Amino acid sequence: VGSVAVEDQPDVSAVLSAYNQQGDPTMYEEYYSGLKHFIECSLDCHRAELSQLFYPLFVHMYLELVYNQHENEAKSFFEKFHGDQECYYQDDLRVLSSLTKKEHMKGNETMLDFRTSKFVLRISRDSYQLLKRHLQEKQNNQIWNIVQEHLYIDIFDGMPRSKQQIDAMVGSLAGEAKREANKSKVFFGLLKEPEIEVPLDDEDEEGENEEGKPKKKKPKKDSIGSKSKKQDPNAPPQNRIPLPELKDSDKLDKIMNMKETTKRVRLGPDCLPSICFYTFLNAYQGLTAVDVTDDSSLIAGGFADSTVRVWSVTPKKLRTVKQAADLSLIDKESDDVLERIMDEKTASELKILYGHSGPVYGASFSPDRNYLLSSSEDGTVRLWSLQTFTCLVGYKGHNYPVWDTQFSPYGYYFVSGGHDRVARLWATDHYQPLRIFAGHLADVNCTRFHPNSNYVATGSADRTVRLWDVLNGNCVRIFTGHKGPIHSLTFSPNGRFLATGATDGRVLLWDIGHGLMVGELKGHTDTVCSLRFSRDGEILASGSMDNTVRLWDAIKAFEDLETDDFTTATGHINLPENSQELLLGTYMTKSTPVVHLHFTRRNLVLAAGAYSPQ
Amino acid sequence: MESGKMAPPKNAPRDALVMAQILKDMGITEYEPRVINQMLEFAFRYVTTILDDAKIYSSHAKKPNVDADDVRLAIQCRADQSFTSPPPRDFLLDIARQKNQTPLPLIKPYAGPRLPPDRYCLTAPNYRLKSLIKRGPNQGRLVPRLSVGAVSSRPTTPTIAAPQTVSVSNKVATPVSVTSQRFTVQIPSSQSTPVKPVPSTTAVQNVLINPSMIGPKNILITTNMVSTQNTANESNPLKRKHEDDDDNDTM
Repeated sequence: VGSVAVEDQPDVSAVLSAYNQQGDPTMYEEYYSGLKHFIECSLDCHRAELSQLFYPLFVHMYLELVYNQHENEAKSFFEKFHGDQECYYQDDLRVLSSLTKKEHMKGNETMLDFRTSKFVLRISRDSYQLLKRHLQEKQNNQIWNIVQEHLYIDIFDGMPRSKQQIDAMVGSLAGEAKREANKSKVFFGLLKEPEIEVPLDDEDEEGENEEGKPKKKKPKKDSIGSKSKKQDPNAPPQNRIPLPELKDSDKLDKIMNMKETTKRVRLGPDCLPSICFYTFLNAYQGLTAVDVTDDSSLIAGGFADSTVRVWSVTPKKLRTVKQAADLSLIDKESDDVLERIMDEKTASELKILYGHSGPVYGASFSPDRNYLLSSSEDGTVRLWSLQTFTCLVGYKGHNYPVWDTQFSPYGYYFVSGGHDRVARLWATDHYQPLRIFAGHLADVNCTRFHPNSNYVATGSADRTVRLWDVLNGNCVRIFTGHKGPIHSLTFSPNGRFLATGATDGRVLLWDIGHGLMVGELKGHTDTVCSLRFSRDGEILASGSMDNTVRLWDAIKAFEDLETDDFTTATGHINLPENSQELLLGTYMTKSTPVVHLHFTRRNLVLAAGAYSPQ
Repeated sequence: MESGKMAPPKNAPRDALVMAQILKDMGITEYEPRVINQMLEFAFRYVTTILDDAKIYSSHAKKPNVDADDVRLAIQCRADQSFTSPPPRDFLLDIARQKNQTPLPLIKPYAGPRLPPDRYCLTAPNYRLKSLIKRGPNQGRLVPRLSVGAVSSRPTTPTIAAPQTVSVSNKVATPVSVTSQRFTVQIPSSQSTPVKPVPSTTAVQNVLINPSMIGPKNILITTNMVSTQNTANESNPLKRKHEDDDDNDTM
C-alpha cells in the first residue's frame, strides 16, 4: 500500500505539458476576475467554502504564466490579485513574487512539488454543485480545466463549513488532508511494561508502617504492566516492530524510575510545577539544540560552532573510561570494577565533543544514557559514546542539513529529518537508513517518536504534521491547520494526543486515533519552539521565542471531545475559544528564548535557553 | 553582536541600498548590518565566476563576443555543481517505496554495543606506530610487524594512479618517491633469483611510508613482512593492494 501521494505521481513531463497553454495568457486576469465575481455574489453559506479556491488557483495560474514565459502578464496578474489572498499565505506570496522567470522555478524544489501535487480542498456537495454548474458554462471552460488539473476537491455531504471552521484547518502548502488520508487504523496505545521483580529494601519509604513494625522483605511485582491482563485494543502487538530486549542495567533503571514515580508530585491547576531554568551564557545566539536525559542527570547543547557540549546537572562529574594501558592494570574481579574503569584524573563537569563540520541542530540522549546523537548542517548524524566521549559513527544519508534527530524511547532506533524533505529511520547498527518517510513538500523541521515507538511524527515547513508508521513507512495521518512552519512536537504520555507548535505562535492539539484537531492554544506571540507534557499528562508546558514559558491545563483541554462519526467525516470541528481558561501561568525570562523543556521524574520543569540580549 | 540595526546610512553605496531593499522585499526585517556586506560579496563572486565561465565557453565556440547563450550555459553548469538542490519528489518517493518494502531486521540479542561494521565506524585508530627496528634488504629474516590499524575505510591519502613497475630487486637504486603514498614492497631475499611475484607471500597493504625510513640504498624498507623466505620472495614491483571501497550509498 503506497502512501497517499502515489496517485499524485504523474510522469513529470506530462505535468509540465499540462502547463502548456491552458487558454490565452492575456485572458487570465479576466478568468480570475470572473470567478472572483461569481464567488463574491454567491450565497453567504457557500462563500466561505468557495473562497478556498482563490489561493491555489492564483498560484497555479501565476506559475503557469511564468513557466510559459509570459513575464509581463504574470507580473500584472500578480500585482492585481495578490492582495486578495488570505493573510496567512503572505510568506508564500513573497517567495512567489521573486519567481519571475522559468529558470527560477527549476531550482525551487518546494514550488516544483507544489505544481506536481494536487491542492486538496474540502467542500460540501451543495457548494460544489454550484461551482461546477458555473464553471461548465462555455465561457468558463478554461478555469474548469485548471481546476480539474491542479485541484483535488474532496466532497462531503453535509452543511457547508463556516469561515471560522475553515480557517482553523487550512494554511498548509498542500491544502487540507483528504478524508481517506486519516482513515487508517493507528495503534496509539502504549506497549505493556515488562514485569520486573522489585526487591523491597530499607530505603523504600512506601508501604504503611505507621506502627513501626519491620516490613516483611518480600519482593514486590511491578504493578504497572499487570493491571489489565487483556490486550489494549489500541495498543500495537508487542512484537509488531522488533525492539531490543531489556538488559540488566535497563531493569535497574526501570526500578529507579518506579521509585521516583512514587515520589512524583501530582500537578493540576492548583498545583503548578516549579520551573528551573538553565541559561546558557555567552552563547551569542550560537545555541542551536538542547537535550536532557530522562533521569535529568545530563544536559547536552549543540552549538553553531559545530561542537556538542555535555554537562552534568548533578554533582557527579563526567568521567571517561581509562586508556587501554591503564585498564590492563586494574583488578577485573573486584566488585567495583565498573567504577575502577573510569578515569578520575580527567573527571570534569563539562565534556566537549568535536567532530561535526557545521552547526549542530539536533541532539538526543539514548534512554540508557550510553549514547548521544547529534545532527548537523553538514548532513550527518553522529553517534557519540558517553563512556569515552568520542564519536563512534557518522551516519550519512541526508546530504543536506539535518534539522532534528531523536532516539526511540526504547533505544536502538533513531529518526532524523532534514532539508531534503524526508525523515529517515535508522538503527544504530546499520549504516544505512531502514525507512525513508517521504511526502512532505518542504523541509522536515521536527521529528518525534510515539511513546510506543511504532510511529514517528514529523513537522515540516510545508505547515503540515504527518504521522508515519515505522513498520511499513506509510503516512497514516496528515494534520493541517498551522499557518507557519512547525518547530515543535510532543506526544502525550498516554499516546493518544499530539501537541504541535509553529511560527504562528499557536499550539494545536490533535487526537491521533480520530485524526482531528481537538484544541487550539493561543497566547504566545512568537514561534513556539518547545513543548512538553508533564509525566502523567496533566499539564502541557510550551516555550517560545517570545521569552516565556506557558503552562496549559491538558486534562481540561482533552475532556468532552466531540468525536462522533459526523465530525470525523466532515471535519466540522468546533473549537471552543477557551485558551484563556486553559492557560495556567505565563513565566517570563530575561531575553532568553526557551529552546527546550523537560519534566523530571518528579514533575519539576527544567527549561533551557541561551541568553540573547538585544 | 548587535542585530536589529537596519537601514544602511544614506551615503552608503548604491549597491548596498539595493541589497537592503532586496532583503526588505523578501520579508527579512532584522539582520546584522554585516549581512549586507556578505550578500554583496556573494553577489560579486557569483557574477564574476559566471562571466568568467561564459568567456571561456564563448572563446571555445570561437565567438567574437560573449552572448546570452554562453551565460546561460555557464549558469547551468555552475548550478549543477554548487547550488545543488535536494532530489525531486518522485525520486524520493521511489526510493522510499523500495526501502520501506524490506521488513525491519530482527535484533540480535546480547550483542554488546550495537554499532555498524567497523569499516563504517569512526572507531579505528587513525595513526600508526613506526617500528624502530630496521632490517637490510638482503636478509630474508623475520621482520617485526608494524602495527597497522584498520585503515581500509579511510582512503584519504592519494594513491598512485599508475604504479610504474620498479623492479626492486638486488640492485635497487631507484629511489622511490615517497611521502604519503601507499604501496607494498616485498623485500628480496637473495641476490640472484628472478623477479617473480610469489603469491604466497604475505604482502601488506597500505603501509604509510615515512621519508625518514628510506634506508641506505635508497630503498624503502617497509617492514611488514612476516614470513621469511629464502626462496623466491621476490620483489615485486610496487604492488598496491586495492581496498575495495564500497560504493558509498548516498541515499
